Amino acid sequence: MDRGEALFTAKFTELDGAGRKMATQAIIPTKRKRPPDTLFQRIAGMDANACSSCHREPVTGGAGDFTVNVFVNEGFVNADFDTVDPQFSNERNTNHLMGAGLVELLAREMSADLQAIRRDALRKARDTGEAVTADLVTKGVHFGKVTAQPDGILDLRQIDGVDTDLVIRPFSQKGVMTSLRQFAINAMNQHHGMQATERFGARWTGETDFDEDGHADELTEGDISALVAWQATLPPPIAETPDDPAWREAAARGSAHFDTIGCNACHLRALPLESLAFADPGPFDAAGTLRGGEADAVTYDLALTDWADTLERNADGDYLIPTFGDLKRHVITDRQVAALGNELLGQRFVERNEFQTSELWGVASTSPYGHRGDFTTLDGVIRAHGGDARASRDAYLDLAEDERSALIAFLKTLVIPQ
Amino acid sequence: MTRLSFALCLTGLVLTAPATAEDGPADLPMDVPVMVEEALAAGIDHQYTGPWEYFVGGGAAAFDCNGDRMPDLAFAGGTSRASLYVNRSAIGGELQFAEKPDALPEDARDHVTGLYPLDIDNDGYRDLVVLRVGENILLKGGPDCSFTEANRAFAFDGGRAWSTAFAATFEPHLPFPTLAFGNYVDRSAPGSPWGTCHDNVLLRPQGPGGERPDYSEPNVLTPGYCALSMLFTDWNRSGEPALRITNDRQYYREGQEQLWRVSPDRPPRPYRRSDGWRRVQIWGMGIAEADLNADGFPEYALTSMGDTKLQTLDDEAEHDRPVYRDIAFDNGATAHRPYTGEDLKPSTGWHAEFSDFNNDGRLDLFIAKGNVQQMQDFAAYDPDNLLLGKAEGGFTEAGDKAGIALPRRGRGAAVADFNMDGMLDLAVVNREAPVSLFRNAGGRTETGTRPMGNWLEIELRQNGVNRDAIGATVTVKSGNETRTRKLRVGGGHASGSAGFVHVGTGTAERAQIRVQWPDGEWSAPFRVFANNFVVIERGATSAQYWYPVE
Repeated sequence: MDRGEALFTAKFTELDGAGRKMATQAIIPTKRKRPPDTLFQRIAGMDANACSSCHREPVTGGAGDFTVNVFVNEGFVNADFDTVDPQFSNERNTNHLMGAGLVELLAREMSADLQAIRRDALRKARDTGEAVTADLVTKGVHFGKVTAQPDGILDLRQIDGVDTDLVIRPFSQKGVMTSLRQFAINAMNQHHGMQATERFGARWTGETDFDEDGHADELTEGDISALVAWQATLPPPIAETPDDPAWREAAARGSAHFDTIGCNACHLRALPLESLAFADPGPFDAAGTLRGGEADAVTYDLALTDWADTLERNADGDYLIPTFGDLKRHVITDRQVAALGNELLGQRFVERNEFQTSELWGVASTSPYGHRGDFTTLDGVIRAHGGDARASRDAYLDLAEDERSALIAFLKTLVIPQ
Repeated sequence: MTRLSFALCLTGLVLTAPATAEDGPADLPMDVPVMVEEALAAGIDHQYTGPWEYFVGGGAAAFDCNGDRMPDLAFAGGTSRASLYVNRSAIGGELQFAEKPDALPEDARDHVTGLYPLDIDNDGYRDLVVLRVGENILLKGGPDCSFTEANRAFAFDGGRAWSTAFAATFEPHLPFPTLAFGNYVDRSAPGSPWGTCHDNVLLRPQGPGGERPDYSEPNVLTPGYCALSMLFTDWNRSGEPALRITNDRQYYREGQEQLWRVSPDRPPRPYRRSDGWRRVQIWGMGIAEADLNADGFPEYALTSMGDTKLQTLDDEAEHDRPVYRDIAFDNGATAHRPYTGEDLKPSTGWHAEFSDFNNDGRLDLFIAKGNVQQMQDFAAYDPDNLLLGKAEGGFTEAGDKAGIALPRRGRGAAVADFNMDGMLDLAVVNREAPVSLFRNAGGRTETGTRPMGNWLEIELRQNGVNRDAIGATVTVKSGNETRTRKLRVGGGHASGSAGFVHVGTGTAERAQIRVQWPDGEWSAPFRVFANNFVVIERGATSAQYWYPVE
């Protein structure tokens, strides 16, 4: 973990292997046709010295303001597109990573649930000789339906808010990254030009120095494991009880409104988690990110952290993880309310106006708001909710000003402790 | 920054890194698949046997004949009986097959040299083309791996030749496939066997269609030069496949490799020197095609005695000028003598097939090897090749490391995922030795195996004529890489496969698939996640996944 923190906060230098003169920022190892004019470049990267350059508010591992927005694209081999023209990328605000291990554990359990539902539907269809439609519900979140045919064919068209392989990918604003491990490898390459051997090494690329910067095997499996260990054990945000009685009273009213106007339909107050055992590598990564069978998994028992006792438990003994999210993607714009539909590109099969529900834990500590950090206030970003959230947003607008203020007062209790 | 002091429970771990398995062999950076030979344990006990007529041939067919989408296996037997084995393998487990003795009609089990699966009559059941020393037989497929002889029903004259090659294509506006049969030595001709190669035959379905094809009017492809493999291939991206034939110089005089124009409604016509076709004379045994340099035009591996050829279009080539040059040496694909053992005599190559055995996203080349019988000037111990594709292009030999270097005389082969785990397995028919059945167990490590790259397996379906979309092109795009596969019937050595098309995608966890259907129409893109079986119906707006029985 110390090593992970050191890597997270390190300002990588050319002596470490920073820079990727002959590799793009793409997740799939991709060569540039020619080296860029400059090593640093805001759109195509590399664009940061350290992870903690951006993930820094209010603590290391936290979020970032608009200054440290990043640009997301799949990478181009043609230098003409590696310009500062942002039309080929999406601009994103920096998320915080507090409680990220819990988020990944939730996603793993939910993925396992969804795949079990699929498996049961397929089995029933084969046994009965008739098509079986099954609701994809896990931890109270509905992800549409699948229909299994007796011959093993699965109709994917009614799946909602999750990828068709029924893997919940909990990371990134779009919900398209499977694990801290996968994200760490991607980010290290994109932002720092530090390339992980398990993705960019000779096994997959034929080269130990894929980016041709004179440094072979820049990040070992151990380095990535250390980054995962540190991030996975970051303490989660908390709900703070205000000292000010007026704030306390307002927050209580706001908390009630949060439910009555339907915010909690997507921003679920808590998701139940059966186990705090965090295995690395995880069960759902694909080749290019270390997998079980390539390494002996190690398990970090997060129950032994000193913050684990702060987690509430339900009658079944499940830990209640107060993310205020559902790990599901939703359409967040409509014809009238479209401010959050300001991206130019879909990402990894996810449409432009579809985003994973932002977890609200820590929201009071992580302004600005919205996937691009376009909104300086919580009121502003709530008003920008359209699409699936339109009814709740309209209900919010229908509240009296005091009640809207109360709702904000409630959200302002969701902090990252310092 | 905030740090916590807490006790971290490490369940059998160290802090810095998981205990990783060692990398693969030090001299090869890519995964080397561990191919575990388990034919007998899997229930397959079969040999290809016989005298001179069976020095060649020895085919296998991998195709689903009972509707469970798992590839079943049929083997030619020569003087032994051809056999069909039903796949009973557990998903991801050891291979398991059960012989179905009554699957093939008795008359179709003798003197068999090769087998190719193909839905000839568009009924949704794959039929089986049986190549024989003597009358060839078309077997009409039915439910549950049942086959009935259909020569009369299809007005097909199986002839009396010694057939050793086959290919099929669906020509525009014809209701059934066009069939091509390649024949070897005409044993009844004066002076046989030298210079007495039999003509080949092309059969177009006659009439307007209906339930049954009518193959009553053959086109003779003369001269024949003792064909041992043939393949319809769209060499110039015209959308009109030509018929490529590889021939055995052992018996022809003044012969050569051949490429025939097969234009709709016109008799086939060979490309000649005036068309740019260069004379190549080899002991041609097998053909495999793949677009190795991603220029849209296929390369061809041609197995032979000594050097394997790897042909690519030359700079002098034009739309209707098939000028080829050999790039085997530059690509490390000559495979001209055994790569292990003490025998340094030239190799004898047979079945060839491009596939991605280690799922790294690059095509590999399998070549079955084996002495004709006891040819003193050629290697007696002649192990099969597994040439793994390299990141920088070209190939490197890994047959011995993979475990396929057995002292057997290989002939035909079938490459398919028999246990539906996403990794390609391999069946090899051996002359006068047991069939080899290799299960791909994953990438080799010092202590065992590990998972390899990501993969997709893709099935195409369309209604009406050509249900399996033979002739279609499948493109799989991930990032900047586009991988292409063609659905073909033919090539290899007396062996054919039908079913899922396998594509390794390396580190890509998702891909966009597009299909150019046989009539040239392009599909919309289908977005899929790797490590899935994908079924694409023509006209559908989205792909479907298929899951094997767990």
